[in-house]
Amino acid sequence: MVQSELSRRGLLAGLGGLGIAGVLGACATGNDDSSPGASSTTLTLQSSLSDADPKAALTKVVAGYTKTKVTLNTIAIETFRAQLPTYLNSGNPPDVLTWYAGSVARDYASKGFLLDVSDLWRGNGPCAGYSPALKELSTAADGKQIFVPTSYYWWGVFYRKSAFQQWGVQPPTTWDEFIAVCKTIKSKGAAPLTMGTGSTAWVASGWFDYLNLRINGAEFHRELLAGKHPFDGPEVKNVMDHYKQLLEYIDPKGRSYSWQDAVTPLASKKAGMYLIGAFVTTALPATVGDDLDFFRVPIIDASIPVAEEAPTDGFFASAKSRNTAGAKELLSYLASPPAQQEFIQVSKSSNLPTSQKVDTSTFSPLVQKGIKMLNESAAITQFFNRDSSDQMQTVADTALTKFLDKPKDVNSILAEWQASAKKVLAS
Amino acid sequence: MTALSALPRPRARLRAVPTVVWMFLLVPAVVEIGMVFWPALNSFYLSLTKWNGLGAAQPVGLDNYRQLFSDEVFRGALKNNVIWAFGFGGLSVLGGLALAVALNRPRRGVSLYRSAIYLPMVFSLAVTGLFWRVQYQPDGTINTLLGAVGLGDFERQWLADPDTALYAVLVAAVWRQVGYVMVLYLAGLKGTDPTLDDAAQVDGAGAWQRFRFVTWPQLRGVNTVVFAVTVIDSLRTFDIVWAMTQGGPYHSSELLSTYMFQQGFTFLNLGYASSIAVVIFALAVVFIITYLVRATKQEVDT
Repeated sequence: MVQSELSRRGLLAGLGGLGIAGVLGACATGNDDSSPGASSTTLTLQSSLSDADPKAALTKVVAGYTKTKVTLNTIAIETFRAQLPTYLNSGNPPDVLTWYAGSVARDYASKGFLLDVSDLWRGNGPCAGYSPALKELSTAADGKQIFVPTSYYWWGVFYRKSAFQQWGVQPPTTWDEFIAVCKTIKSKGAAPLTMGTGSTAWVASGWFDYLNLRINGAEFHRELLAGKHPFDGPEVKNVMDHYKQLLEYIDPKGRSYSWQDAVTPLASKKAGMYLIGAFVTTALPATVGDDLDFFRVPIIDASIPVAEEAPTDGFFASAKSRNTAGAKELLSYLASPPAQQEFIQVSKSSNLPTSQKVDTSTFSPLVQKGIKMLNESAAITQFFNRDSSDQMQTVADTALTKFLDKPKDVNSILAEWQASAKKVLAS
Repeated sequence: MTALSALPRPRARLRAVPTVVWMFLLVPAVVEIGMVFWPALNSFYLSLTKWNGLGAAQPVGLDNYRQLFSDEVFRGALKNNVIWAFGFGGLSVLGGLALAVALNRPRRGVSLYRSAIYLPMVFSLAVTGLFWRVQYQPDGTINTLLGAVGLGDFERQWLADPDTALYAVLVAAVWRQVGYVMVLYLAGLKGTDPTLDDAAQVDGAGAWQRFRFVTWPQLRGVNTVVFAVTVIDSLRTFDIVWAMTQGGPYHSSELLSTYMFQQGFTFLNLGYASSIAVVIFALAVVFIITYLVRATKQEVDT
């Protein structure tokens, strides 16, 4: 028993050991770089896609790559997240890795860990035709592209068409209409909103992000998450005032649920609506099928350009890869329209392809609607954690779940949030 | 004379051990030092640095410790750990002892009861956590039962309510531990001398007197084991809390171990996390050494 206490510490130092091994590895192999023939012939692709369907999909896509032998290492996401800096910093890092676009990727780029893939974005490169929003998202502070986005998804307020018909309500487009719909659903004995903030407290940031985007706009939202505005300022206070209006309509049982658990009341029509990402389709029973629909989070201030959350997934390569040309070729393959299409279809997700050359006509009407909504948006954000950091997300989780319980303490909660955020940003 | 002749004997025995055996002992010793003691020592060093797993750790002196004591989450976790140590230790020892005494005498079906009570122990803590999380759901067994017996007013969201979350997890952990402590005490009771008990009964001692003055003193050896196991188990508690609440809602069920894990492996504040680890280590050592010193002293005295 003492040993297990120690072994946790052992792990800590083990990390240190890895670091040292990395340095030693770099010394031992320092000579190889001069001889091009010695560059490794096998590429390593480190993947965090450990769920069954996405894992199977990536395995299939990688199997279709014949130019170089590729070893696919799949690692559970929590471990991957924690070890990512170690992977990138080791002497012989994985060549290509799955991860997220946005400030997380930029962070690593600023430390010099990521391979410059700007040439994939130029001329005939596989990413040349991607939207400017995606390009901006994949660009580091120094103006170079360091990320290859391959799929993304949208967020929306999901509901069952038959339930809305039953209750006699229409998808709202403005805030007042939205509150009216909530009121009607509540009068019919169902919970207007479901939200699983128990073991997945980050779900509570969904409404926070959207209300901030609708009230203060995407620019302010990004700056707030980067620490350029205080969380206890009047802008955020205004956001929380709107959030407060929703509280009486949110199913209180959601506080004990995970985001997956909170889908059940939606499926059984005990709850009306759920603001969540398109990944919700993977948690719904097949019987719901085409009955599922979504609408854009209602507009609050019409003068603010419409922004949507569209978390983007993809790949980046290590700056220290021993075979940079091979890594770029693998990235080009992964970004190619057929690979994107195959990945999305085999993984059974509602993700959207980043390449406009993918034939989306076979995708479900729901996904088509998602593509259309994002194309009509003026700005794209990622999600709270991807636009800030995991640590900022935890601070937000604490503040927002406390707010859900004690909305009257909003001022002290926001002050505490600001103090904690400041501490995180300083560290 | 006896004392004098007894002294050289262990040395003679040491010399009698062949070199080959020492060589064999050396291997596990090196493994132990390299894999356990060296990393543990390293964490003391890391606790004096700021390190995110990249590059070299920056020494910051005692900054981490200073930060710890102004960190409200840490202080909350420390307080929770104290509640946990007393709640978990107290309840599982009392429960385990009571069950052991009740199930000590051979009676019909007694082994069935013993196995049933020990059964939760075969589940890992993570599985126990998942099982209890289902029971604690808003529409789960516990709330349904309360409603069925007319105690609907007591229904609540056990794990989502900051006032009950820690205790709800505590109950789950005790549920599992009680069987373990019971088995330890059953073994201890088997080692007691039944004739003493019979003699006391003949002398007219009541059931409580017989337990307190005849059985209990004979359980001292087991008590040492139970105490050490319980203290270590309560300080290292991690998995069940992580599986049930992850320290939430808003840190209300945070323990030192969960906070350390979050700081170390979610945020990669490895220096800060190491300083929490050192605090846990110090607490465990202080408790156990104090107890062992007291226990051995008593043994020498009697």
